Amino acid sequence: MTRKNGKHSGSAPVTKLGRLVKEGKIKDLEQIYKYSLPIKEYQIVDTILPKLSDEVMKIMPVQKQTRAGQRTRFKAFVVVGDSDGHVGLGVKCSKEVATAIRGAIVLAKLSIIPVRRGYWGSLLGDPHTVPSKVTGRCGSVTCRLVPAPRGTGIVAAPTPKKLLQLAGITDCYTTSRGSTRTLGNFVKATFAAIGNTYAFLTPDLWEKIEHKKGPYQEFSDILAKATEKRRV
Amino acid sequence: MSKLPACLNATEEDIRYLLAAQAHIGAKNLNVKMIPYVWKRRPDGIHIINIGKTWEKLVLAARIIAAIENPSDVVVISARPYGQRAALKFASYTGAQAIAGRFTPGTFTNYITRSFKEPRLIIVTDPRTDHQAIKEASYVNIPVIALADTDSPMRFVDIAIPANNKAKHSIGLLYWMLAREVKRLKNEISRDKPWDVMVDMFFYRDPEETEKDTEALAPTEKTPPTFNMTDSNWDTENVSNDWEATGTAAIGGVNPSIVAAIATNNPASSGWDMPDTEETGGGWGDTTGTFTAVSEPPFTAVSEPFAEPPVPVEPPPTSVFDESTFDTSGGDWADEPTNNPSSGWD
Repeated sequence: MTRKNGKHSGSAPVTKLGRLVKEGKIKDLEQIYKYSLPIKEYQIVDTILPKLSDEVMKIMPVQKQTRAGQRTRFKAFVVVGDSDGHVGLGVKCSKEVATAIRGAIVLAKLSIIPVRRGYWGSLLGDPHTVPSKVTGRCGSVTCRLVPAPRGTGIVAAPTPKKLLQLAGITDCYTTSRGSTRTLGNFVKATFAAIGNTYAFLTPDLWEKIEHKKGPYQEFSDILAKATEKRRV
Repeated sequence: MSKLPACLNATEEDIRYLLAAQAHIGAKNLNVKMIPYVWKRRPDGIHIINIGKTWEKLVLAARIIAAIENPSDVVVISARPYGQRAALKFASYTGAQAIAGRFTPGTFTNYITRSFKEPRLIIVTDPRTDHQAIKEASYVNIPVIALADTDSPMRFVDIAIPANNKAKHSIGLLYWMLAREVKRLKNEISRDKPWDVMVDMFFYRDPEETEKDTEALAPTEKTPPTFNMTDSNWDTENVSNDWEATGTAAIGGVNPSIVAAIATNNPASSGWDMPDTEETGGGWGDTTGTFTAVSEPPFTAVSEPFAEPPVPVEPPPTSVFDESTFDTSGGDWADEPTNNPSSGWD
């Protein structure tokens, strides 16, 4: 890969996934999730989910001691989501607040995860709550999400509430334990819990899924053409 | 095992080659996962690998490699010098990419690296020394084919070809067979005729042997302008690649004037043959110097003094194989030269 500077130029994708997304062959994040393809370029997410909103949860100043005093940096926690089944969480530390926030947004987009929603009772209308009780842990904090009937709203502390709203979960009971004041761990714990919604095997997922070709195989001819141009 | 067509069975010649290269000699240590592939443990502690299974896994690996639509999505990796030439040759004959020498960490995971690659499949010479490549492949959903010895770690290795990966002949032969099988499956070569590329092209060559060649060829004035003889091992490699690129009839075919020069200086040719004769194994040095006619069996020595094709049963007198000189102790890592840090592979 010949490039003048080390950075990704932003105008052209560098990874195979990036190229396929730019060509429009991959229109859905679900295609990417199905084959566990790592997302390295945030533009991929931007292209597929243009209506992503972000929310800065906290700017935390952290310090390191040097012989000339303290060296302060700012750690930004950003949650990104489309309020319809996708969330991402990004944490970035930087000397300036703005840089930290920008970096955190990028990382949040890279870490986007699908959220499975289900029903509390009758399977009427759209899914609105968590499909089952799920829990996530980070540090000492555990966060538990419990299905709630329609109209309950999100019963949670402000931190996880924001996350769950951006995830697209309408109704949810929560319980948490541990030092929830450490926002970093708290937010990561709920993120883990949300991620576990798709890790939970329910009977409706029992049926066999037929194996199809992954995108790298299916579109290998397109990818080959792209690499030909780049090859030194 | 599985119901494969009979043409994919090992021929007697294939088995003889594997045995002659000592591909069946394992290590003294045995990894649990390799137990199914071991035939027996010798009294001196060396494990003998079941060559039938080696062949089967080889065929399986070849089928997988051949199934990749774009051949350049396959990456062959060898950190160790013994496998570098084989990896490069394999790559050139099958259209894959090769990473010989240092595997820059981040090659598969860091898109900013100059050597960033996104293969669909990697082939590894030794899971232990090429562990960085295997680890990175695990981050990016890349299946791994590995030449595994009895003591090789199997983590993240998807297809293990059980074989000796300590001896240079063994490594070279396995890559040669793999390349040949892949080409056969893709219908680029016929199964009935032997491949006109000699196994010797895949063997590791000591720098001293390359120097001997250099000395042998230097007095000749008739070398073509492209033939740039320097001492560096890698330069000779590049040169032979150039020849292939310019379409010399047989890959491994060589300028006849060089053949003549070598023939007058070195009696032994790089005939690849059975361990029947008394020759001491000194002839590996002139691999580039041996000329093979396309239609003849690969183990024919055709440097000038020994031009007649052999009667099929009787081996030509210039075979380099002498079983008595072989060290059947399973190979020694210490014999292998260490990598120069300045190999410049990036």
